[in-house]
Amino acid sequence: MISLNNVTFKWHKNDKTPTLTISKLNIEKGQHVFLHGPSGSGKSTLLALLAGINEATSGNVTLLNQTLNTLSNTQRDVFRADHIGIIFQNFNLLPYLSPIENVILGCQFSKKRQQKALSHSATLNNEATRLLNSLGLTEQYHNKNVAELSIGQQQRVAAARAFIGNPEIIIADEPTSALDTQNRESFINLLFEQASNTNSTLIFVSHDENLKPLFNRSIDLVSLQEAL
Amino acid sequence: MILTKLALKSLLNRRASVVLTLFTIAVSVMLLLSIERVRVDAKSSFSNTISGTDLIVGARTGDIQLLLSSVFRIGHTNNGVSWQSYKYITSQRGVKWSIPISLGDSHKGQAVLGTTPDYFTHYRFAKKQHLSFSAGNPFSTIHGVVLGSEVATKLGYKLGDSIVISHGMGNTSFHHHNDNPFEVIGILNPTGTPVDKTLHIPLAAIDLIHGGNASHNHDEHDEHDEHDEHDEHDEHDEHDEHDEHNNLTGHPKQITAFLMGFDSPLYTLQIRRNINQYKPEALLAIMPTVTLKDLWEMLAIVEKILLLFSFVVVLISLLGMLTTLLANLNQRRRELAILRSVGARPWQLFTLISMESLLTTFLGCVLGCALFYATLLLGADYLQSHAGISVNIAMLSRYELTLIGVIMAAGFIIGLIPATRAYFYSLSDGMSIKT
Repeated sequence: MISLNNVTFKWHKNDKTPTLTISKLNIEKGQHVFLHGPSGSGKSTLLALLAGINEATSGNVTLLNQTLNTLSNTQRDVFRADHIGIIFQNFNLLPYLSPIENVILGCQFSKKRQQKALSHSATLNNEATRLLNSLGLTEQYHNKNVAELSIGQQQRVAAARAFIGNPEIIIADEPTSALDTQNRESFINLLFEQASNTNSTLIFVSHDENLKPLFNRSIDLVSLQEAL
Repeated sequence: MILTKLALKSLLNRRASVVLTLFTIAVSVMLLLSIERVRVDAKSSFSNTISGTDLIVGARTGDIQLLLSSVFRIGHTNNGVSWQSYKYITSQRGVKWSIPISLGDSHKGQAVLGTTPDYFTHYRFAKKQHLSFSAGNPFSTIHGVVLGSEVATKLGYKLGDSIVISHGMGNTSFHHHNDNPFEVIGILNPTGTPVDKTLHIPLAAIDLIHGGNASHNHDEHDEHDEHDEHDEHDEHDEHDEHDEHNNLTGHPKQITAFLMGFDSPLYTLQIRRNINQYKPEALLAIMPTVTLKDLWEMLAIVEKILLLFSFVVVLISLLGMLTTLLANLNQRRRELAILRSVGARPWQLFTLISMESLLTTFLGCVLGCALFYATLLLGADYLQSHAGISVNIAMLSRYELTLIGVIMAAGFIIGLIPATRAYFYSLSDGMSIKT
């Protein structure tokens, strides 16, 4: 599903030591992976590699049997749009779009995801509504100004955007760090539920080790890199 | 397309700053178009003032001075043309028609022009249009006055009103010729030329208001030898008419200038040369079309400076837009990262940002055109009455459309700067958003 082989990444060619070195990492389809490590351990770098924003300096990053290194920049952008949903830490939403429009944005740059979304519902609007409802955001909020939503509600919208059109991989980059403990767990449970529904692989990044028990697999980035 | 929708929504979201930018662009567009329109219309108003006249003859001064005083009623000529010279010159072969004019008097600040009824048949303006009457007829008695359209509306005169004409130019003349009231017997249609601001009276009446048969203060013309031969000329062809017009033309000693038309343009240069070398009197003959062009070239520098200024204003407004766009862009890096995460490619972000500036410029231009027409509607009357420029409230000319196109292109090019930055931000930031 996801595999990294002898991957190194350097920001600049002339850097002596690579920012990230991973000799081997495999993630199976449908797994909910907790990826943790202190700041500076290369979490963001790894995510950027997985999302195809950055290219590995050496080694292979393979997602869904597609080696990203062999794709051009544009092809990687298309690949990301088609197969990966991303949730950020906070400020996930475009302020000038309604929650519904923010959700639809998730499949606006990918024909594949649009088609998949339309296989669930008659229109993209309906699909976005369905997802928001299933993530616990009631319809009264669907057309509000996003600035009027609480952070918890905003993160649900962001999650719905990541899930629309059933991408195979969901990457969540510290999506709960701005939430309080109670909201944190319920949000993670919603993510699990949704990921199980669509059989998506979830990669959840956090420095908060308290969340570890919730996941069926956890990877410590520091020890992963030392393992070489 | 999704990008257009995003651009529009994001502009709407920042409407406060966008409206300001839009407004500065609109005002600069309006300014540029107005200056351009007034310039073009001033030029055509200028050249429309007189047409179909081959030569204007007056006492020797500068070409432009003679044109200004005889046609535009601007400035003064101290000397005139003696009646004998006028008679002699207009009796030459090839002269089709001639109009003597006598200026120097005024009525409530409006110029008074003494002439013959020929004025109303031969004077032409714009595209060789003749003068036409909105009411009444040319003068047929010595106490008749024909008003230009603006004189009539401004001073509220109707047919049959009697008015008094004073000696000298200006409003506050001490010399009122109260004993010689004139009756309004004709009102001309508007022409957009100084004719509108003129009162026309018979040549003979000019003598009359100056006290009998005395002409203006100039009496330096003695008998000229040449006149013996010319007397023979006008004896036959003019005498019949003379009786009829006699009382209207009178026996002036001097006129300010006269206009001439020829049977064929071939005569123009020859007669012009003869007049300029005319021995008995120092005369000057000008071809109005040529002199109008000279005059316009003199004014061209002013026109160019105006145009330059309005271009600078446009440039400043576009730079204002650039400043706002760049200032906003840093705050929008997060937005770019979000778009990137859902699969937007760097060039799509580039397109998005440049589309926003293009849209702003486009809307600014549209609003500018609206303001421009509003200004025209409000200002046209003022320009007509105060500057004599008849502004044309017509569709945008091809040249004006080109100007707008240039502004749009400039706006687009300027928008490429923040768009390029957005492109590189999206590459360097990736998805790790720096807030």
